[in-house]
Amino acid sequence: MIALTRMRLHAFVRTGRAVAPLIAALAVLSILYGGGQAEAVEAYGVSALVAFPVLAWQTKILLDVEPDVQRRLARVALGSARREIAAGLLAAAVAGLAVIAVALVVPWLVGGVKTGTATETAGSILTGLGVHLLALGPAVALGALSCRAVTRSAGMGAAVLVTGAVLAIVLGLQGSPVPWLVPPLMATTRLATSGGTPLAATLLTAQALTWTALTTWLYSHLRHTRT
Amino acid sequence: MLAEAVGNACTASRNRWHNRPVHLDDVWLRYHRGTPWVLQAVNARVEPGDIVVVLGRNGAGKSTLLQLIAGVLRPTRGRVSDRPAVVGWVPERFPADQAGTVTGYLRAMAAVRGLRPAAAARAVDAWVQRLGLDAFRDVKLPELSKGTAQKVGLAQALLAPPDLLILDEPWEGLDAATRDLVPGIVLEVVARGGSVLVSDHRGETVRLPGAATWTVADGTLTTAAPDSGQRCVVEVAVEAADLAGAVARLREQGHHVLRVREEVGS
Repeated sequence: MIALTRMRLHAFVRTGRAVAPLIAALAVLSILYGGGQAEAVEAYGVSALVAFPVLAWQTKILLDVEPDVQRRLARVALGSARREIAAGLLAAAVAGLAVIAVALVVPWLVGGVKTGTATETAGSILTGLGVHLLALGPAVALGALSCRAVTRSAGMGAAVLVTGAVLAIVLGLQGSPVPWLVPPLMATTRLATSGGTPLAATLLTAQALTWTALTTWLYSHLRHTRT
Repeated sequence: MLAEAVGNACTASRNRWHNRPVHLDDVWLRYHRGTPWVLQAVNARVEPGDIVVVLGRNGAGKSTLLQLIAGVLRPTRGRVSDRPAVVGWVPERFPADQAGTVTGYLRAMAAVRGLRPAAAARAVDAWVQRLGLDAFRDVKLPELSKGTAQKVGLAQALLAPPDLLILDEPWEGLDAATRDLVPGIVLEVVARGGSVLVSDHRGETVRLPGAATWTVADGTLTTAAPDSGQRCVVEVAVEAADLAGAVARLREQGHHVLRVREEVGS
């Protein structure tokens, strides 16, 4: 499975498909940090929110790089549909971690956040990592749901991706009647900017993990039935 | 001589089965709900040591059947069971539109099959040399000709010795030298106790005497036991003006005319 993960990451980078989402990530980060300094944790909260569609799009691109017949060859070579599916998700998660690393480092390089003591800086980065990871799981799951192996057409893939990303934000707004229906992106941003209790953070983590698990299950189920 | 080798290989393999037969139990398949069934109520089994030739017109469902057995497709109903651990599948068209060179791709696929780097390098070198891919080692996959890409497709299926080898039109696009290699490769798999399924519409499978025949038509599968009689292929050049007469005479004499091609000596 690791070999297939490596092969897919290699194809993602070697074909140049990794460039577009990276540029998109740098563009949104430039807009985010171009207006002056902010508290690191608050900035990371917003950064995780805007990174969500980029990470989902990147996942779709990564999974779509491989020709359909090659995906089938990989499945036969591995001897397991489950491991072939998992290898794609793992590759997308690794690529997502690279974008998150950029998102965590860039604000310090461009002076977009207020500096503090080393302990405060480390704490901010850890919190930032946490809120970005809360976005990564749902983003990979949404991107996977929009990939060609599931949607079968570019138009349907784009529709799933855009609709999913918009709904994740709109249904997560304060006052939404069904905030539990979407990953807690907006709630996480609010928690990072306004502060919250450890219990609230735990509940958001549980919601993100549950949403990721359910969406990943749906993706896996659809992949099993649509080859 | 080849027929004798087939017989020997089949006998040897049947004496040392280590696999269980692959079963297709009441297998139905359609690609989308509401569309016609591509395959209906297919029951069959592939014994270790079997060579099965899958025949049928274009679009009959040969590739679909092979992909079901390879584990690429899942039956809509029924099940395919006891598929062996190592399956080699050669698709009808190798997907050359991807990153990497010939050796890079093959080494990556060997790693996916669980081969360690040293074993992967050995397996890749062996198949690259055997299939005449030496000159293309560092060529990028999209730059390969159709036939060369097909050789890469063949090589990736053989990097780990398969217990079940599935060849979808393996002769398509291959040069004469590589076409001649295919029967030998099939016999090696069978001699190890593996089984081979091969689809063909060019009449090349006459090179595999002793093979069972499966015919796919109208969504159903008809199986026939191996022909016990041994046959040979003789390529004969005749005057173009006498072509029709020569073919008619050969048929009158009970010979099986496989195909007629205009060019000779290729």
